[in-house]
Formats: sequence, C-alpha cells, structure tokens
Amino acid sequence: MLELAIGIILGCCALGAGAAMIAGIGPGIGEGNAVAKACEAIGRQPECKGDVTTTMLMGCAIAETTGLYALVIAILLIFFAPGRFVDILMTAIG
Amino acid sequence: MNADATVRRETLYIARWVLALSALTQLVFLVAGWWDYTVLLGNLLSGCAAVGNFFLMGRSVQKAVTQDQADAAKTMRASQQLRSLGLFVVAAVGVALPCFHLVTVLLPLFFPRIAVAFRPMFKGKEDLNETQQPGR
Repeated sequence: MLELAIGIILGCCALGAGAAMIAGIGPGIGEGNAVAKACEAIGRQPECKGDVTTTMLMGCAIAETTGLYALVIAILLIFFAPGRFVDILMTAIG
Repeated sequence: MNADATVRRETLYIARWVLALSALTQLVFLVAGWWDYTVLLGNLLSGCAAVGNFFLMGRSVQKAVTQDQADAAKTMRASQQLRSLGLFVVAAVGVALPCFHLVTVLLPLFFPRIAVAFRPMFKGKEDLNETQQPGR
C-alpha cells in the first residue's frame, strides 16, 4: 500500500511537471509572431532597425518569463516535491 | 556573424542588472546568516545562464530579422525551444547537485525580467540626454 501511495505521488509530480511545461510552448509561438511582425516593420522602414530590434528584444525577454515560470515549477515538481511529499506521507503514517 | 551593436548593448545592460541583483541576493543571504559557498556557486551558475540566454536570444533575433516572415517565426520558435531546454538542464543540474543552493539557482533566472521592467525608466533618461546633447 505504501509503495502504491509513493508511486501515485511520483506519478502525479511527473504529470504536473509535464502539464506545467505546456506553458513553454506559448512563448515560442509569441516570439515567432513578434519577430515576423518586426521583419515586416523593418522591411517597411529599414532605418528603424535598431529601435525595432531593441523593443523586440525587451518584448521577447518578457514573453520568455512565462516559460521560465513553468520551467521553475516543473523543476521543483521533479526534483523537490516528491521527496517533500513522501516525507509528509511518512510522517502522517508514523 | 558578429553580434549586432544593439544586441551587445542590451546584453550589457542585462548583465549589469544581473550582477547588481546577484550582489543584492548575496547580501541578503549574508545578512540573514544563511550564506555559504553553495549560495555563491548557485548564483554564478544561474546568473551566467540568464545572461547567456538573453545573448543567444539577441543573436536569434538578429538572425531572424534578416529572413522573411515565415522563416523568422520558425527560427525564433526553434531558438526558444532550444534555449528553454538549455535553461532546464542548467536549473536541473543546479537543483540536483548539492554544491548549488536551490533558491540562488532559480532566482537569477528572473533577473533579466526585472531589468526589463526597469528599462523604460533608464530609456527615458537616455532619450532625454540624446535630445539635450544632439552632437554626442
């Protein structure tokens, strides 16, 4: 029974980490769209290349933060949470 | 292909902020009495990863703006996935190995975001200086 409980904890943590990493797809798509539009803008006004690149870099850095949140949650669920949850389980059952 | 002047300038700006915020983190740990070598090592690992990630993003943007729209979107998507994978590996190494502190491995990954949040404040001052000293 204890092995089953630990297995469920590990499985749920892995599933949670996988689900969290779905958020990592969004920034890629967003950055892709932003850069595509920036290409269009630079094509229209090549003299604004520096300004457009700066703005886009900052925008991409902001967009990536969402992915980083997901990454941190996934890392914690994989490496940190299982041990903590198993400790709590062991304490609960004595 | 060399790094664009814009990419270099922005990376330097981010690096300065990461350095300042890392120093602040070390100070907080020192004052709280939790400081040991793992705090410093974790901060070094993650700070370098954060700045490197931003620089690689800049290089990808620099490459993407020379392509057509569809290729640029693909390039950025591929770059983002690879960089995320790289950050995952760095964070996993930092969390798994006992010589790195968990908090100082994860915290500096968000320092570039803080730097970007303060960017309009400094950008406004730069623009003002350029307007006042047009010959500079």
